[in-house]
Amino acid sequence: MTTGFAPAAQPSPTRSAIAAQVRDVVKTYGRGDTAVRALDGVNLEIAAERFTAVMGPSGSGKSTLMHALAGLDTINAGQVLLGDTDLSGLGERKRTLLRRDRIGFVFQSFNLVPTLTAAENIVLPLPLAGRPPDRAWIDDLVATLGLGDRLRHRPAELSGGQQQRVAVARALAARPQIVFADEPTGNLDSRAGEALLSFLRHAAHELGQTIVMVTHDPNAAAFADRVVFLADGRVVGDLAEPTAAAILSRMASIDAPATRKTR
Amino acid sequence: MWRLTLRNTLARRARLALTLIAVVLGVTFVTGSLILTDTSQRLLDEQFRTSTAGVDLTVRDAAAFDSAMGVEVERDPLPATLVDRIRAVPGVAAARPVVRGQGLLSADGKTIVPPGASLLASWEPAPVGAFTLRAGDPPAADDELVVDADTARRHHIELGDTVTVRAEQTESLRVVGLAGFGDGPGLPNSTVGLVTLPTAQHLLKLGGDVSEVAVVAADGTDVQRLRDRVEAAIGSGYAVSAGQDIAASSAAAAKTQVDHLQLMLFALAAAALLVGALLIANTFSIVITQRTRELAVLRAAGATGAQVLWSVLGEALLVGFTASVAGIGLGVATAAGLRDLAGAFGITLPDGGLVVAPRTMIVAFAVGVGVTVFSAIGPARRAASVAPVEAMRRSAAASAPGGRVRTITGWGMTGIGASSLVAVLAGSGSLALVGAAALAAIAGLALLGPALTPRLARLIGRPLDATGIPGRLARESAARTPRRTAATALALALGLALISFMTVLATSIKDSIQRSYTEVITADYVIESARNEMLGGLSHHVHHHVGELPEVAVASRLRYGHWKDGAHTNALTAVDPVTLPRVTSLRMAAGDLNAISGGGVVLAERAARERHLALGDSLPMTFSRTGTQRLPVVGLLRDRDAQALSTDYIISLDTYSRNYRENMDASVFVKVADGVSDAAAKKAITAKLADHPTAQLRDQAAAVAGRTMSIDQILGLVSVLLMLTILIALMGITNTLALSIIERTREIGLLRAVGMTRGQLRWMIRGEAVLIAVLAIVVGVGLGIAFAAGTVSALGSTAELALVVPAGRLVLVVAVATLAGLLAGMLPARRAAKLDVLTAIATS
Ligand SMILES: Nc1ncnc2c1ncn2[C@@H]1O[C@H](COP(=O)(O)OP(=O)(O)OP(=O)(O)O)[C@@H](O)[C@H]1O
Ligand SMILES: [Mg+2]
Repeated sequence: MTTGFAPAAQPSPTRSAIAAQVRDVVKTYGRGDTAVRALDGVNLEIAAERFTAVMGPSGSGKSTLMHALAGLDTINAGQVLLGDTDLSGLGERKRTLLRRDRIGFVFQSFNLVPTLTAAENIVLPLPLAGRPPDRAWIDDLVATLGLGDRLRHRPAELSGGQQQRVAVARALAARPQIVFADEPTGNLDSRAGEALLSFLRHAAHELGQTIVMVTHDPNAAAFADRVVFLADGRVVGDLAEPTAAAILSRMASIDAPATRKTR
Repeated sequence: MWRLTLRNTLARRARLALTLIAVVLGVTFVTGSLILTDTSQRLLDEQFRTSTAGVDLTVRDAAAFDSAMGVEVERDPLPATLVDRIRAVPGVAAARPVVRGQGLLSADGKTIVPPGASLLASWEPAPVGAFTLRAGDPPAADDELVVDADTARRHHIELGDTVTVRAEQTESLRVVGLAGFGDGPGLPNSTVGLVTLPTAQHLLKLGGDVSEVAVVAADGTDVQRLRDRVEAAIGSGYAVSAGQDIAASSAAAAKTQVDHLQLMLFALAAAALLVGALLIANTFSIVITQRTRELAVLRAAGATGAQVLWSVLGEALLVGFTASVAGIGLGVATAAGLRDLAGAFGITLPDGGLVVAPRTMIVAFAVGVGVTVFSAIGPARRAASVAPVEAMRRSAAASAPGGRVRTITGWGMTGIGASSLVAVLAGSGSLALVGAAALAAIAGLALLGPALTPRLARLIGRPLDATGIPGRLARESAARTPRRTAATALALALGLALISFMTVLATSIKDSIQRSYTEVITADYVIESARNEMLGGLSHHVHHHVGELPEVAVASRLRYGHWKDGAHTNALTAVDPVTLPRVTSLRMAAGDLNAISGGGVVLAERAARERHLALGDSLPMTFSRTGTQRLPVVGLLRDRDAQALSTDYIISLDTYSRNYRENMDASVFVKVADGVSDAAAKKAITAKLADHPTAQLRDQAAAVAGRTMSIDQILGLVSVLLMLTILIALMGITNTLALSIIERTREIGLLRAVGMTRGQLRWMIRGEAVLIAVLAIVVGVGLGIAFAAGTVSALGSTAELALVVPAGRLVLVVAVATLAGLLAGMLPARRAAKLDVLTAIATS
């Protein structure tokens, strides 16, 4: 982890190191009349070993921000730093390798390769990189996530909650610098969702894993150490040690019309 | 609904494009073959019709049959006095003597050896003669010659040039005119020399005799009655035929080669279409699977199952129709290319304007549309059975491994095929059984495909694991969709099976020819005609000239002839029983070769077995010139030795000359005299052959090569044409993978997100393509070798034949097919790598 960046424009909720940083990032889709400014000058610091949630109305740019941070997409202006690596200057191949070696992902659905078993899905990025898996670490993850008896199953034979837990295990398997989760509980019932969120919190606090999660759900966001609010491609709010109630009231105050769309 | 169908088809044109190309190629092949064979047949018809156009009746020596195996028999010449007797018959306007034979032309010291005939004939003005003067004058003096304009142009012969004509005699003549034939500048693939009647008689050593008499009926005379009158006037021993009958029978004889070619082309076109049909069925089936949701929504919105069925069949109809139009166009464009291809492999066809018969169009359309729609019936029925509730379900891409009934039937058929093959290999089977076994095995494997593929793909794909996750995923992806993997691999397997079957069979046959030849023929050299003529085509002077040489100890000649038993045409060989044993190591199974001097016949053992003949029996043989003769069986020759001489029936040269008019040798075996070096003998013989430009001196290797050349040529042509089938099958791989990528967009997006590089992704797709190809290779080459072994075994009961597996050639087939599989994966791999990660993730 790197330190020593200039203090961010916004006050950081924690005093720990910074895992990733976004500076004046602009991302536009389309051209001319139909151009959409998905990110409109975003500035943000992601604290290391913390669980950060990103919230905002639909279309506010949450996914776009996450994709920019994760090296899945390029940006039009500004800077995205992962540790001390400037992602904005990287080519396609370098970004792929960076994702493989330093980033973990959990998507809302379709996280797993259907032809591989749970165990193979968990270690997926490692053989791609030609790296041997850290067995003890992975066994630990599997045990904590309660997947021990499901390792030989294929995704189709797993429940939605189990699939997401396998996805989380995979995201953490290579001990990435940062894990991104885009609505990881969106398809789960509240029990399964809560178990998953507890684990993410546990991973940040006990295992020292930096996690960024995009969500619509105030209850889910309440598991995080910090909530960042986005609207119309800008950061419009920041809440440390949030509760569901605090999040709800903040959302209402930020963008009243947009809250209708949130679930 | 029709509008929707049209829109659907257009929207999915990218997915259907390769299907379209497969049908186009199949239809192109069918159209090209039909046009080529129609054209060749029409040209031959025209040629022979033109040649007798102005002649009402032709009088020739009587013969028991006109032609055999595509060769017209030679008849005895007629006395010139006959002409006057015919002329005296009332109703005859003109009776003209005609002389016709073979005469090689040489210009500027170079002999012209056309692929076809070197015709030498007496000049006749129209209407009797079919040649028309294009420049200069007709031959009037004995040293004057007219050549066809085509040959003149090709070999830069001009009026006033001197051209040497080699027939029974050799003369140098002055070119006084150039002639055309009908509308054309000459005869296809031939040279024509036209001289005065006396010169023709002199060159062909006919004395005062003539080849035939052409009769023109007086105006208003009934030709049929005139024929009867002429027949009555000249008595039996002569054949009087209507000109048009002769044209028809000559054309029929010349067309036998075209018929063989047509059969072969149709068989290959059928193979290409079968493979294309597999590809079409597979494509439609994949597209339907991918559209399950959409179809269910349609059903939920009130479309009936029948409407869905017809909409899919409508799509197929549209594809079939479009492809047929394109295929017919391409077929017309490539027919000439096909002719050149056949020519390159030694099958010369007449050159001329292409004939596109309406029948060709109808057949091509029926085939193109029929195959496409028929192949789409299965998928269409599956589409019609999609239930509306499936609109609500998440569609699963994985396909079922096939029902139990299908699998059991598959095992049954494969079992029948395999056990029949084993029976044949054990020595009790016919070719028909091999064919039935092959059909059963292929049908069985087609049924078993979905059940067998996952295990087979995982097993064969094991080495892919060494390349890590991309390889492992390639293997799993192939195993996960067994139906389409099986169908795709089967298409390629069929093509590869045909190629390896042909290769193994041809190699085995060639090998047995070589072994029997080198074992039996002890001659140092053999002299043969460079032209592959049916009867050998070696001048009878060669034997005489070479035999005289002091460097030569023995020169023994062979002649070929045709004879009939009832409807069947057979070949025989005439030998000199005194000299033949000195150039061969023939071993008789019974009787004595020398006994043929008394007018008997020696049979190969298997021919005797087939005809239930033993020593002392007699064999009725019908000769064209002398009719049916009963020849005593005086000996039986071992099969292997008979094969070395490529004959089942041997008579003496004396018997031959009594029954045949033909005066050509097939080959002359030469044994060099003791103490003479090979080089010296070769030099002396070559010098003697200078007068016989088509005669070639061959050592043993060259002689074997000459005998196996036609096998090589056919194998070459078939292999090249089978490449088309393979090409279609490879497009199947490309197509299946391209479609599967559309289906796996999410998976690919995920893999890319978690760090699979583009390179790794490309290798994953290519790996799957190669895996399918290797699957096809294992099955196809395996089937090919197995059934070649069966065929060899079945043929082995009637001929000396042993299985020879040409490892080198097969390795080449395997390597090329693997590489082609890799190539087939290139396009889909590139497509997959180009997928935008974000779009792929976002795809639902
Ligand atoms: N590929 C694209 N092409 C064009 N516009 C896009 C594209 N992706 C996103 N956008 C636009 O950018 C804006 C931000 O989209 P983004 O997906 O980041 O929103 P989000 O906050 O994740 O919304 P949701 O909560 O619905 O997932 C939206 O207006 C969207 O329409
Ligand atoms: Mg989003």
